[in-house]
Amino acid sequence: MRRILATVIIVLFMMCTGCQNNKSTTGPSLHVAALTGPLTMNPLFLRDTASAEVAALLHPQLLVTDPETLLPKARLFSSWQLLEDNLTYIFSLHDDAYWSDGKPITAEDVAFTLRVICHPDYTGGLFLPLRYITGAEGYKQEHSSPFADGAISGISIIDEKTLKINLKETYAPFLTMLNFAPLPAHILSQVEVAKMESHEYSHKLPVSAGPYLLAEWNDEYVHVRANPNYFLGKPSIENIYYRYIPNLEAQLIELLAGKLDLIPTAVKVEDIKNLKNNPEIKIYHNPRLVYDYLALNGRKVNSPLADKKVRKAFSLLLNRQEIVKNLLLNYGTPLYGPLLPLHFAYNKALQTDKVDLAAARRLLVEAGYNKLELNLIYNVGNAVRENVALLLKEQAAKIGIEIKITLLEWEAFLAALNEGDYDLAILGRGVEVDPDLTFHWHSQSRGNSLAYANSEVDQLLDQGVATMDRSKRTEIYQAAESIIVEDAPAVWLYAREAIHAATAKLQNFTPHPESIFYNVHEWTLAAEGEEF
Amino acid sequence: MKSALVRRFLQTVIVLFGVSVVTFLVMHAAPGHPLQANPELRLDPTAIERWLQLRQLDQPLIFQYLAWLSRVFRGDFGESLLYNRPVLELMGERLPSTLLLTLSAFALAMFLAVAVGIKIATQQNSWLDRLVCTISLAGISVPNFWLGMVLVLLFAYRFPILPAVGMRTPGDGSILDILQHMLLPLLVMVAGNFARYVRYVRSAVLDVMQQDYVKAARARGLGENEILYRHVLPNAAMPIITVAALSLPMLFTGAMVAEYVFAWPGLGRFIITSTMARDYPVIMTVNLYTASLVAIANFIADVLYLLIDPRLR
Repeated sequence: MRRILATVIIVLFMMCTGCQNNKSTTGPSLHVAALTGPLTMNPLFLRDTASAEVAALLHPQLLVTDPETLLPKARLFSSWQLLEDNLTYIFSLHDDAYWSDGKPITAEDVAFTLRVICHPDYTGGLFLPLRYITGAEGYKQEHSSPFADGAISGISIIDEKTLKINLKETYAPFLTMLNFAPLPAHILSQVEVAKMESHEYSHKLPVSAGPYLLAEWNDEYVHVRANPNYFLGKPSIENIYYRYIPNLEAQLIELLAGKLDLIPTAVKVEDIKNLKNNPEIKIYHNPRLVYDYLALNGRKVNSPLADKKVRKAFSLLLNRQEIVKNLLLNYGTPLYGPLLPLHFAYNKALQTDKVDLAAARRLLVEAGYNKLELNLIYNVGNAVRENVALLLKEQAAKIGIEIKITLLEWEAFLAALNEGDYDLAILGRGVEVDPDLTFHWHSQSRGNSLAYANSEVDQLLDQGVATMDRSKRTEIYQAAESIIVEDAPAVWLYAREAIHAATAKLQNFTPHPESIFYNVHEWTLAAEGEEF
Repeated sequence: MKSALVRRFLQTVIVLFGVSVVTFLVMHAAPGHPLQANPELRLDPTAIERWLQLRQLDQPLIFQYLAWLSRVFRGDFGESLLYNRPVLELMGERLPSTLLLTLSAFALAMFLAVAVGIKIATQQNSWLDRLVCTISLAGISVPNFWLGMVLVLLFAYRFPILPAVGMRTPGDGSILDILQHMLLPLLVMVAGNFARYVRYVRSAVLDVMQQDYVKAARARGLGENEILYRHVLPNAAMPIITVAALSLPMLFTGAMVAEYVFAWPGLGRFIITSTMARDYPVIMTVNLYTASLVAIANFIADVLYLLIDPRLR
C-alpha cells in the first residue's frame, strides 16, 4: 500500500515537472504579476483585464493612440489617408508584418477580421463602432452563412497590403476604434464564427504576429517569448512570464523577494510609501480612462431621485478635491463631469467644488422632502469606495437624508446594477479614448445604463461624431457635458490613476491609459551591476 | 448480499440525481451570469444577448436542465463558459497538481498519525500523550487559511527562504523547485489532517486494548510487542481505514483553502474561481464529481463492511 502511494506521488511529480525540457529559458526574463489568468488568446473576444493584457503581448493592434494626446498612431497600419468626402479611408499595412508561420499579414486578413466582427454570431464587444462601415449593419442582420464569408460593401481590398474602408456617414472617432488586432484568415476562414471562441486558435494560438509569441499557458502563468520577426523589431526582453497571484500582499512579497519584476496597475496608495524607499523598486503612475461615480437611480417607482432637485442636492455634498487628496493621496483627479482630463474636449472651467449643505437642504425641502431614506450599494474590497460611502452617509445625514449602506459581493453587485435594484451606487466606468459620450449618455444607446435621456444632448452627440474638426468637437462636447451635469444623473467623483511598481532595472516602461504593454517591444532590462 | 449491493447502487444514483437538481437550482438562483456586463469594460449589450442565445442560457430553466442531463448521459459535460473549453479537459489538467499535494499530505499525515497515535495510546496519560493531544486540539481548531498566512509571513516575508505562492518558479519547474513550493501548503494540510487522524488512531488503539482478548493474551504471557502487532493493530485498523476511505473525496477535489491561499494551480482553486464567476457547466460537473466521490467512498466502505463483518449480510 505504502509502496503504491509512493509510486503514485513520484509519477505525479513527473507529470507536474513534465514537458518542461523544451521550454527552457534563455535570455533576460521579466516576471509580471496579475490577479487572475487570461481566459482566451483570441483578440476579438477580450472581456476581462487579464485576457486584454496578454493579448497586447501577442497581437499587434491595427492602430494605437498616443499615451499622452490619445490621438491615433500607426502600428500594424503603417499609414492611412482620409479622402475629402470624410467617409473613405485608405489604410496601408506595414510592409514587414508577417504571421509567425511566415505568411504576410494582408488586407484580406483585416477584411476577414472585420467580417467576423460584423457577423451575426459574433459575441465579442467590437461591433458598435464598425456599424458605421457601409453595409456592415446589413451584413449583421442578413448574412446567413455560419462563416465570415461573402463581402461587406464598404470594405474593399486594393492590393495585398492596402485596404479601403467606406463609411456610410462621417464618424469622427473611427480611427481610435481600430484598436484591435486582426485574425489570420488562412487559419480561421473555414471556422464557423459561433465556434471561434472554442477553436484551438483561441487556446493554443498556433499563429500570431505581436511582439511576443505564446510559449506556454498553464494555470499558473503565461510564458511568452520575443518574436524574432516582429515588424517593429525584436523585443530586447526575451521572456515574459505573466503570473497569476490572486492577492496583492503575496504579489508585494514576491516583488520584494526579487521574484517579480512588475506589479501593474493594482498597487494600493497605502503601499507606495514603503516601496518608494526601496532603491530596487520604482513606482510609476499614469491616468486611466476609468472613473468612479455615484449613480443616482431615479427609475424605481416613486423614487425621490426622479426629482432633479434631490439629485442636485447630492452634487453639493462631497468635496472631491479632499477625497482625491486624502483617500487617493493625489494619485488621481477630482471629477465634475463625464469628460476626463485626458480627453481633448476636457473642460477645466467646470472643475470646482461646490459644497453647500444649506443649499442642498433647501433643494431637498423645495422638492417636498423633509426626511429621506435611501439605500447605497458598492462592492466588497474597494477601500476608497468604502470611505467615500461613509463620507457620503455622514454628509447626507446633515441635510436629512439617511443612507443605508449595503456591501455586495461583485457578481451580486453587478446583478443589482443591471436590474436597477438600488437608489445610490458607487461604481466605476470605463470610457473611450475619443471624447464621444454616445455610449453612456445617448438616449438610444444600449450602454446608457442610467437611462439618461435628453434630446438636446442626443442632438449634440450626433453632431459631435459627424464633425471632424477638433475645436468644433470640443465646443460640442463641452456643451453636452454642461447639460448632463446640470441634469445631475450622477455625481462624478474622481479618475484614479494606475499605479505600477517595477524593478528599477526595467527601462522604457511607458504605460498607456488603456494598456500597460503599449510599448513592450521597447522595454529593456539593465544587466546586473549596471548603472540605472 | 447481491440485492443489498444493488439497493445501495440505486440509492447512490438517486442521490446523485438529487444533487444535480439542487446544484442546478441553487446555482441559477444566485444573482448574475458569467458575462454580466462589467461597467468598466463597456461590453456591447447586444453581443451579450447573442452570447446567451448561442449557449441557450436564455431558455427556461427546466429546458436547460434537461438539455444538460441528456448531454451528461451521452458523456458530454459541456464547455466552460469562461474558457470555452471542455470542462473535463480543464479539470483533468488541474488534477495532477492537486493529487500531488493532497496525496502527499494524506500519506504524510497518515503515517505520522499512525506512528504517533500508537505510541501515545500505549503510554496513555504520559506527558507525551498530553502534549500530542493538546497539539492536535490546536491543529483542529486553528483555521487553515490563518495558519497558511502566518507561514507565508514567516517563511516568505520575514525570513524569505521559501516561495510564497505557486507550484513552480516560471522557467524552472524541477522536482526540487516544486518541493520548495510544496512545503508550506503541505505543512498547512498535514497539520490539519494529522490532528484529526491522530485522535482516531489513539482512540481506536485504546479501544481494542481494553478488549477481553487482549487481556487474555497478556494473561497467557505474550510480550507487549506481539500483543500490539498481532492482536491490537489488525483490529484497530478497521475504524482507521474507514476514516481514510472517507478522506478520498477530499483528495480528489483538492484542498480549496490551501490551494487558494498559496495560489496552487489545482482543482480546488479552479472550483472556487469558477463558482465565483458563475461558470455553470463547471459548477455542475464539479458538484456531480464531488458527490460521486463521496458516494463511491461510502459505497466502497459499505462493501468492505459486508465482506468483513458476516453479521451485516
